[in-house]
Parts: sequence; structure tokens; C-alpha cells
Amino acid sequence: MCGIAGYLDRSGSGEAPVGSVLLRMLTALGDRGPDSAGVALFGEPSQSLVLRIKLGEVGDLASRAELVVARLGGEGIGAVQAERSGPYLRVALPPNTPLPAVTSAIESLTPPGSDAVELISAGRCLEIVKQVGSPADLESAYRISETCGTHGIGHTRLSTESRVDLSHSQPFWAHGVPDLAVVHNGHVTNYHRLRRIYEQRGIRFYTENDSEIIGIYLGLRLARGENLEEAMRASLTDLDGSFCYLAAMPGVLAFAKDPYCLKPLVVAETQGWVAVATEEVALRQALGHHFRASEPPGRTLRVWETTMPLLAAA
Amino acid sequence: MNETVVDCRDRSTREINREIRGLIAGGCLQIRVTEPEARHNLGVALLHPASVHFEGSVGYYCAGMSDQAHVEVSGSAGWGLAECMLGGSVVVRGSAGSGAAASIRGGTVVVHGDVGARAGCAMKGGTLIVGGNSGYMTGFMGQKGTIIVCGDAGAALGDSMYETEIYVGGSICELGNDAVIAEPTAQELADLHAALTQHGFHAGRHWKKVLSGRKLWNFDRTEALWREAL
Repeated sequence: MCGIAGYLDRSGSGEAPVGSVLLRMLTALGDRGPDSAGVALFGEPSQSLVLRIKLGEVGDLASRAELVVARLGGEGIGAVQAERSGPYLRVALPPNTPLPAVTSAIESLTPPGSDAVELISAGRCLEIVKQVGSPADLESAYRISETCGTHGIGHTRLSTESRVDLSHSQPFWAHGVPDLAVVHNGHVTNYHRLRRIYEQRGIRFYTENDSEIIGIYLGLRLARGENLEEAMRASLTDLDGSFCYLAAMPGVLAFAKDPYCLKPLVVAETQGWVAVATEEVALRQALGHHFRASEPPGRTLRVWETTMPLLAAA
Repeated sequence: MNETVVDCRDRSTREINREIRGLIAGGCLQIRVTEPEARHNLGVALLHPASVHFEGSVGYYCAGMSDQAHVEVSGSAGWGLAECMLGGSVVVRGSAGSGAAASIRGGTVVVHGDVGARAGCAMKGGTLIVGGNSGYMTGFMGQKGTIIVCGDAGAALGDSMYETEIYVGGSICELGNDAVIAEPTAQELADLHAALTQHGFHAGRHWKKVLSGRKLWNFDRTEALWREAL
């Protein structure tokens, strides 16, 4: 049992109170997932490629931050700006910096493991913050309610099969694909099979959370030239088990729901916005009473886009 | 008749339910509940013939395990609406999530909009009327009772049923295991029309009746699967 939530301002102006709406929704969904909370917030395209890097859970994080910046510099990747906040280092790089070079520089700093330095998100529109604890803890640590943007997705986690730490929290960035994030409620039962196939192809996994595979799956299909809707439609057949998941890209919010309706999801749309949440209580507490909400049938997916095109810039 | 208002704001679910039950025990027969905000477990275990009207949406298990009460919801309802209800009635003006009227033993559940998956699953009596469409596996393992779907029915309709009867006014996506279509009798159609008219639905459709084919009721060792396995 987890809680997922998504909100998209149809105008795409970048000035919608995305952070505060998501915080209210996640607070209402707090009982579904007391282990950790997180959001993936999308804004207008930045002039930089923005990285959010997990420095570690314990230890001298300030030194690790210096190490990261030095290593990037050593690879000829000059940071425009670097700022540490708790376990995160936020780094702004020139927009055309090649992401594989960045990833390998960061991953070379520590061996893979629970306290490894890890790239949590990368993109020109996307920033992910997540941590162990409640939505209220997330708010006091990062003031997410003050963030405006175009859209975002969020998650409250009840851990069932993998450990509780920052890396295993959601949202998941689709590693290697800028500006693609996913939140998932459910259990992908063919996760181990798919993971073995992907690992044989050289794809690296960063956690043991089955939800991580959804972003990787979508990213691979996007790399083959499919659009997000095509990739998500294929996932309705290729993923087994119970799932409702949300995916977000610049200017795009989407959900997919498993054929057997094993996980709840409620959708509300007005002329101005789209909101999706595991339970209607989240929509009501965040957005009030003056709209209808309904639960879509199984094997359903929907993709919404902002009216302002952002994809070309990202 | 005097109506008493219960405001849900700034109160726990337990406090709200205690007040509703206390009012009914004190003889109040008409209760209006404001600002329910789709919260879970509202109006459960109401065991007296009072009328409780939720102004807005309710969450999971609303009116569950109730008997004799009449519950009305002006918005929509979450999962497990009226689950295990023994008698009385529940009317939802909007839609309901999965498991509406699951395991009810009696009474009537009316949803004017759509219902999610597994509506009326394991019903042991009573009636579920759906004004819109019904989701995946409606009527799954139903033992008794009646389900009426005015719109379209989703996949696996009536899977593995005992004696629940399902009437569908629209299309059927796919029948479940051992579900078969039968022609309703004139008496059954008359009963159907009476039930629909009573709740304000238009009954003029070509109705299909779905019931158990009874092939799963007993172990059949001559079945091909078992011939190989045994």
C-alpha cells in the first residue's frame, strides 16, 4: 500500500502552486505510506542541466560535496552552481553537458551500495526531493510548498519488500533519461525476470525496489523512438502484477492502471488543472469540492499535456 | 421531520461515527453529514432505521456492516461501499470504487454512476443497481442476490458464481468463467422494471441475464485437466 499523487496546471505557465497542492495531497495520503515521502517537481526549462545528487545518508557530507564538484571538474564538467541542502547536492551544469559522462563521474566516487553517492534526478525541468519520513518532514526539510511550476508527482511509501532509505523512496528518476520521473503504487511481480533481462543488456539498477523498473522500462522504449503514451500502453501488457503508476515529463502527466484494478486511483479534471491520486480524500483536501472525481476502469491510461509546449526546450 | 446536522470538520472519524450512532440511539431519524471530504469508514454499522445523508463524497467502506438504515451520498464513494451490509439501503448519486456491495446479505445498494471492479463480489443476498457501467469481474463468486447494470459490463462478468443473477442493459465486454447468458422471463423483467422505476431509472432496454453455468459447482474428474493430472 502506497499513496501516489499528480497535479498538472493545464496552462503550463510555470507559476502554479504545484508544491503546495502536492504537499496537501501527500499529507492526506500519509496513512497509506508512513515510511517515506517524495516529490518530482517540473518547472519551465532551466538554462542549465540540473542534477540532484544524494551525497549519502551519514558521514561527512560537506566533504563528499566538495569531492563531487572536484570530480566533475576533473572530467572537464564545470559546475555553473553547486549548493548543498541536507543529504543533497544540487548542481547546475551547462545545458548540453553529456549525461553519461556526468553519471560515470559521480558513480566512480563510491562503490554501489546503500550509502553510495547517487544521481537522484537530472534534467532541465525536473527536480526530485525524497527522504525517509512523512510529508510534513519533507516540507520542513525542503519547503516544497513554496515551489511553483507546471506539474509534479508525489509518493508516500509503505515499504513491503525492499529497505527504507532515501534511494529506495519514490519518485524514481528514469536513470539516464533527463526529465522523466515515475511514482508507483503496487507490486510488479515480473520485476526479477525483467531485471535479469535488463542487467544482461548492461543496464544498472540502483535499488532493489520493483518500482524502479518502470522508469527504466519507459526510458528504454522512449530511446527506441516511441512516445510516452505508446511506451505506457505497452507496459499494460509487459508488466505483471498490481500497479497504478504516474509518469511525468516536461509538459506531460500520465497514468496507467493494471488490467485487474488491483490498485485504486481517482482522477479529477477541470479546465484549469488535472489531478490524480490514490484516494479521493487527497483531491478533496487539496483542491476542494467543486469538481467531480471518478475511478477509471482497469487497463486504462491517460496522458495530459500542458497547452504551452515545453518539450522542444527540454 | 427534524433533521440534525453533523459537521465532519476538525473531527476524527471515530468521533463522527459515535455522534451519528448516538443521535440515532436518541431517536433522531434524519441526519445530514456535512464536509465528509471523502474520508473513510463513515456511517458504518448503523443498525436502526434512520436516514443519513452525506453531503459530498465518502471514502472507503461507507455504510459497511449496516442494517436497516438508509444512507445517501450526494457525491461519490470509494472502495467497499456498503460492504457486508445486512439490510436497509444505500444510494450514491455519483460513482463508486471497487468492491461496491461486496458480500452484502440483504438490502439495496444503488449507484447512479459507474462502479469499479468486483462490484457485488461474494454477494449473499440483496440487490445492487448500477446506473452506469460496471468494472472488471462484477459479481465474482456471488452466492445469491441480484445485480442490475444499466450500462455496459466490464470483462470477466459473473466469474465463478453460485446463484447471483446479473442483468445487463448495455454491452458485455466478456463473460467470466462458467457464466452464461440466459433469456429473462416475463416475471423477471417485470420485477426488474419495478426495481428500476422505484429508483428513478429508465428501464426500456433489451436486458441480458447472466447466471452461473453450474459447471464449477462440483468437482468433475472426467474433465480433461483432471484426467491428465489424476
